[in-house]
Amino acid sequence: MSAALKLDDVAIRFGGVQAVGGVSFSIKEGDFVGLIGPNGAGKTTLIKIIAGLLRPDKGSVQLSGVDVTADGTAARVRRGLALTHQIVRPFREMTVLDNVALGAGYRRTSSPFRALMHLDRRLEYERAAEIIAQVGLAGTEKKLAGSLPLGQMKRLEVARALAVEPCVILLDEPLAGLNHAEASKQVEAIAAVHAKGITVVLVEHNLEEVMRICRRLIVLNNGLVIGDGEPREVMADPDVHEAYVGGGMASHAEA
Amino acid sequence: MYYFDLAVTGISFGCMYAMMSVGLTLVYGLLRILHVAHAAVFALGAYVTVLVANATGSIALGFLAAVIVTPLFGMAIYRLLYEPLLKYRPDVPMIASVGLLVLMQDAFRIVFGEQGITFQRNAFAFKTFNFAGVTVSALQIAMVVTALVVFTGLHLFTTRTRIGIGWRATVSKPQIAASFGIDPIKVRYLNFAVGSVLAAIAGGLVAEMNNLVDPGIGFVVSYKALAIIVLGGLGSVRGTLIASLVLGLVEAYGTIFIGSWLDRDAIAFLALIVLLMIRPQGFTGARAA
Amino acid sequence: MSAYEISIISIIGINVILAVSLNMISGFCGQISLGHGAFFGAGAYAAALTMVGSGSVPLAIMAALLTGSLLGLAVGFASLRVRTDFLAVTTIGVNFLFVGFVRKQAWLGGEMGISGIPATGFGPVGNMTMILLFAAATIALSLYISRSWMGFAFRAVGEDEGAAATLGINSGAYKLAAFGIGTALAGLAGCLYTFFTQFITVDAFDFIFSVMLMAMVVIGGIGSTWGVVVAAVGLTLLPEAIRFVNDYRLLVFGGLLVLVIRLAPGGLTGMVQRAFLAVRRS
Repeated sequence: MSAALKLDDVAIRFGGVQAVGGVSFSIKEGDFVGLIGPNGAGKTTLIKIIAGLLRPDKGSVQLSGVDVTADGTAARVRRGLALTHQIVRPFREMTVLDNVALGAGYRRTSSPFRALMHLDRRLEYERAAEIIAQVGLAGTEKKLAGSLPLGQMKRLEVARALAVEPCVILLDEPLAGLNHAEASKQVEAIAAVHAKGITVVLVEHNLEEVMRICRRLIVLNNGLVIGDGEPREVMADPDVHEAYVGGGMASHAEA
Repeated sequence: MYYFDLAVTGISFGCMYAMMSVGLTLVYGLLRILHVAHAAVFALGAYVTVLVANATGSIALGFLAAVIVTPLFGMAIYRLLYEPLLKYRPDVPMIASVGLLVLMQDAFRIVFGEQGITFQRNAFAFKTFNFAGVTVSALQIAMVVTALVVFTGLHLFTTRTRIGIGWRATVSKPQIAASFGIDPIKVRYLNFAVGSVLAAIAGGLVAEMNNLVDPGIGFVVSYKALAIIVLGGLGSVRGTLIASLVLGLVEAYGTIFIGSWLDRDAIAFLALIVLLMIRPQGFTGARAA
Repeated sequence: MSAYEISIISIIGINVILAVSLNMISGFCGQISLGHGAFFGAGAYAAALTMVGSGSVPLAIMAALLTGSLLGLAVGFASLRVRTDFLAVTTIGVNFLFVGFVRKQAWLGGEMGISGIPATGFGPVGNMTMILLFAAATIALSLYISRSWMGFAFRAVGEDEGAAATLGINSGAYKLAAFGIGTALAGLAGCLYTFFTQFITVDAFDFIFSVMLMAMVVIGGIGSTWGVVVAAVGLTLLPEAIRFVNDYRLLVFGGLLVLVIRLAPGGLTGMVQRAFLAVRRS
C-alpha cells in the first residue's frame, strides 16, 4: 500500500535563505498527523509546497503514489488532496449550501466544457446538506457564507474540504482565533473527518489539542525535520524541547 | 543630427509623461486604485492654463492658476468618488473613474467647444536654439527644466520634511506610519493634491506645445500613463520615471522603424503587452501585490 | 416599418449581443475587460474581408466568430498572468493597439475603412430578423451558462481564484473559456454590424465604445443577463428618444456610470431586487 502523502527531499530557497532544506516524510493512509514547529520553522512554506502554491527547487511530492510535484492546486485537489485555509476564504456572496455543493460537484467542474454540459445540481445539494450536518452547521444552508461568525466559517472550510472526497486533508490552523466552545466543536468536526478514514494532516499552534488528537507528530525547525514519531516521545526529545524553548514558544504570532 | 533631434524630442516627451504618471502611480501605491480620471485633471490643468493666460496675458499666471485649481479637483475626486468605493474590489472605483473621465471630457467639449482654445500669445514656446546642429525649442527646454525642478523638489520634500517622510512611509508601510502618528487620511489628500499639481503642469506644457487645448487633450496621453505605471512596476516612483523616459525615447525612434504599420500612440501599449507577457510583475520587479 | 425603425432595432440587437457577451467575461467570471470593442472590430473586419472576397454570409459569420475568439483567447492568456486591475489596463491596451494597427494597414482600408461590402441579399428586414435571432440565441446561451455548472464555477473564479482551486476548479481554464465564448460572440456582433452598415471604419470600435459597453453591463447589474439586456436596449434607445441625450451622449453615459457605481453598485438588477424585498416585507 502506497503512502497517502509522501515528501521526498523537498527543498526551497528564497533569495539567500534556505526556507525548507530537504524534508522527507511519508504519511500512511488513515493516519492523523500533527505538523508543528516554532515560528519561522518553515511550516507555512511547506504547506504551500504541499498545496501546490509553491514549486520546490528540488524534491518531489506524491499523493497516493502519484508524483504531483508539477501540478497546480486544482489538479492536486482532483487527485485527492483537500485543504483548508488558515484565514478563511469562503465564497462570501454564495450561500453555505452553494459553497459546499460546488466542492461536491468537483467532477462536473473538472473542465469548462464538461461543466457547460451539466445543469442538474440535486445530487450535489443532497451531498452538501449531509456534509454540512456532519460538521454541525445544519440550519445555516440558506445563509450567505459571508454572514457567518468565524467559528462557523472555519467549519464551513472543513465542510468544503470534505466535499471534494479527499484521501488526505491538510488543515492549516483550523483552531486559530476560536474560543473554547467553538474550538471543541471544530475538534469534533475534525475527528468526524478522520473517522471516515480520511488521512488528516493538522498544522496547529495549539499544542495541547495536537497532543491530544494526533497519533504522530512531525516537528520542523529551521526548515528541517527534527522530530518524528509518537507525540509524547517526540515532545520528550531534548532537541525538540530546545527548539521550542529557544524559538520562543510563547509568541504565536507567526502566520 | 536627425538622431539627436529625436533624442531631444524623446526626452522632453518623457519628462511630460513622468509628470503625468507619477500622480497615477502614487494613487495606486496608496489606494490600489487605477485613477483613470487623472486624465481629466490633466485636461483641466490645460484648460485653466490657457483660459487664464489669455485673460491676463501672462502664461505664468495661467500655470499658477492651474496649480491652485487642480489639487482641489483631485482631492474632490478622492472624497466624493473613491473614498465611498474603497470597500469594493479595485475594479469598481476604476470603472467609476473611467466614467468620470468620459463625463469630464464631454463636459469640456460642451462648455469650451469642440474646436478647442488656442493661446493668444505663445511665441516664446516656438523659439528654437541650435546647439552644434541639434535643434532645441524653448518649450523642450522648459519641459526638461520643469521636470527636473519638480522631481528634485519632490525628492527633497519626501526625504527632508516631516510630512513628506510620513507620506512615503504611509505608501510603503501604512501600519507602521499610523503608529508614528501620521494621519493616513491627510496623506491621501496630500497624495491627490501633489499628483494633480504635477498633472496640471504637464497639461499646461502640452497645451503650449500643441498651442491648442481641445476636449481630447488628456485622452491618449493619459492612457499611455496607465501603460507607463504598469511598466514601471505599479506604485514605484523611480520605475515610473524610468519607464516614462524609455517610452518617450522608444516612441521618438519607434516612429521611424514601426511607424509605417502601427500608430505612434499604440507603441506604449505594445510595449506594455509584450512586457506583461514576459514579466507580469512589471519592469523593475517591484512587488505590486 | 420605417427604415429608421429597422436600423434602430438592428443596432439594439447588436448592442444586446455585445453587452451580454461582455457580461459573460466581466460579470460571470469577474475578468474586467475594457477592450470589448477590439473583438467587435476584429469580427467586423474579418466579416468585411470575407464578404468582399467571397460574398458568402455563412463564411463571413464563421470568420468573425473565429477571429473574435482567437484574439480573445490570446488576451485570455494574458489574464492568466496578471491580476484583475492589470488586466483592465491590458484590455485597454488591446483596444488601442487594435485601432492603432488597423489605421496603418492599407489592406484593411487604413483610416478610410472598408466600403462597398456586398449585401447579404436578405434586405433590411431580413438582416434585422437575423440580428434579432442571434441576439435571442445569445441571451438564451447566457441564461443557460449562468444556470450550468460552468456558471457556478465562473462565480467561484470571479470571487476568489485561490479558493476555487481548493475545490478542484482550474481557474485558468475557466477564464479562457469565458474569454473564448464572450469574444467569439463579440466577433459575431461585428459580423452582423458589417452586414448592417456595409461600410466600416475603425473609429466605430474604439475604447470609448468599449466603455459604453461596460456602462451597459454595470448599469444593468453586473452578472445579471436580463438586467444587462434591459440596460443595452435602454441605453441604445435613450439618445434616440431624447435629443439632449444625443447631443451629450458621453456626458450622460459617463454620468450614469459614475452615479450607478456610487449610489447603486448592484445596478438596475440590484435596485429591482431591493424593491422586491421591500414589497415582500411590508
